[in-house]
Amino acid sequence: MSHPKKGDKVTFKIEGRTYDGRYGDSLLEQLRKHGYEVPSLCYHEAVSPYGSCRLCLVEVKKGKKQKVTTSCNYPVQEGIEVFVNTEKVRRYRKVVLQLHLSKTPKSKAVRDLAAEYGVMETPYEVQEQDKDNDCVLCGLCSRVCDEIVHVSAISFTGRGQNKRMQSPYDETAEACIGCGACVYVCPTDCIGLQESDGIRHIEKWHRDLPLQTCEKCGKQFFPTFMLMEFSKRTGISKDQLNICPACRNSVV
Amino acid sequence: MATTFSPISVFAARLMPKEQRFVSGHRACQGCAEALAVRMVHSILGRNTIVASATGCMEIISSSYPDTAWTVPWIHVAFENAAAVASGVEAGLSILMKKGKIPQRKIQVVGMGGDGGTADIGLQSLSGAMERGHDMIYICYDNEAYMNTGIQRSSSTPYGASTTTSPAGSLSIGQHTWKKNIPMIMAGHKIPYVATASPSYPFDLAQKVKKAAKVKGPAYLHIYACCPTGWRMKPDMAVQIGRLAVETGVFPLYEIEQGVLRITHKTPELRPLKEYTKHQGRFRHLDDATLEEIERRVLDEYRKLERREGLAL
Repeated sequence: MSHPKKGDKVTFKIEGRTYDGRYGDSLLEQLRKHGYEVPSLCYHEAVSPYGSCRLCLVEVKKGKKQKVTTSCNYPVQEGIEVFVNTEKVRRYRKVVLQLHLSKTPKSKAVRDLAAEYGVMETPYEVQEQDKDNDCVLCGLCSRVCDEIVHVSAISFTGRGQNKRMQSPYDETAEACIGCGACVYVCPTDCIGLQESDGIRHIEKWHRDLPLQTCEKCGKQFFPTFMLMEFSKRTGISKDQLNICPACRNSVV
Repeated sequence: MATTFSPISVFAARLMPKEQRFVSGHRACQGCAEALAVRMVHSILGRNTIVASATGCMEIISSSYPDTAWTVPWIHVAFENAAAVASGVEAGLSILMKKGKIPQRKIQVVGMGGDGGTADIGLQSLSGAMERGHDMIYICYDNEAYMNTGIQRSSSTPYGASTTTSPAGSLSIGQHTWKKNIPMIMAGHKIPYVATASPSYPFDLAQKVKKAAKVKGPAYLHIYACCPTGWRMKPDMAVQIGRLAVETGVFPLYEIEQGVLRITHKTPELRPLKEYTKHQGRFRHLDDATLEEIERRVLDEYRKLERREGLAL
């Protein structure tokens, strides 16, 4: 038997029902597609899976072995049997949620999710440095910055307890174009984007970007730095991009 | 942290969910922002959704026999009872789950209607559903007239707009009453979540739909939907007109969460109203004096909203 290739048709079972899929598809995506509810914080379909939040746990039976694993980075294979909501999975997930609560005790997203599983408080010690930090270290922002924005302005730094999502040296992220994609994907809304006095300020990356003034109406809209970057990538001249979306009429 | 999502819009096409629940092949007009809004809302709400739709454009274009554009359970009901049917579906599901006939899980019930089905004909059933506290979302897609039957005025039509039943002429300026403020009527029901949104601001809309789905109890979304056919404008301008409506203050974006109002797109300086009206044939007949009167009223309403921000309503 030859080794299966990515994209080969496979048949697998979820909760006893048979489904068709492609070899190498994300199991989490297949589960959600067929209407099974699996919680997650670190998964977004547009970027590669990372498996850091450990909430998308399911039980997978392959041959004679049965194990609990994260479904986001588990490739769909021929003949596997998946169990979504077993007693064991729920127990493991509760422990993971307790650990999350000790890491980000104030985050609303984490607290709501934990409450759904009846986890109200954590038996683990809350570190002083984590008390006001809502970041769950899911890495979605940096993956989106890498794979979708193609900028790589931010990344993980440090190890173990000192692991952080940061701009380089925790100073101004010079490569950040201020597009805000990281702000949208952040599961706990901890990045923070504000606009005031013609400056877009992204708190977590210490980035202040002056906004471009529209040539037609004089309103400020996108960061100038972002428009320069787009002009470089697309070949559209800077003058054409200096018009705000509300004034733009078949110009670009 | 209350982040504002309205200034960010780039990469929206790649970050919104790929799986569509309101699929292409429907019969909406060119440049229909309502179809765009429905597509965005249901791609975010996902598969476990049941939709009760009032009569209107979205019913006509998406469900003419033998085709359908919906890949989620969808029921067409009369003009006046979309909210009542949605609340019935929600009550039925909860009792079936209680009796153990179907497994416990979150199934989002959505009632949807146009402005006619919400502000005029469906108002009493909507009010009842909101007051009874069903765990559902009601979404009004506001295109400011009865578009599918041929552009008749509704109570949501703005002052001065010309429609087939409020035609502009030598004796009339078109619609002579002011637009009914439905989101504030819904806020008066003390429901946990009320928001206005526009498909021109995709991330802002996505965030509001997610919040509405998460909330326990009724949520109401008022979505601004440009209608190029009824508003007599170019089809390629639908998204742009949506932005201009927000930036001129005609349709401010805000949300009322647990009774506290927050403006989600702040415009310190409103654009002149003319920028919004000059693209639309329905306002073509208005003279400068009338436009000034409307502008004064728009500004007045916007300042009122600003004063209410952060206060418990």
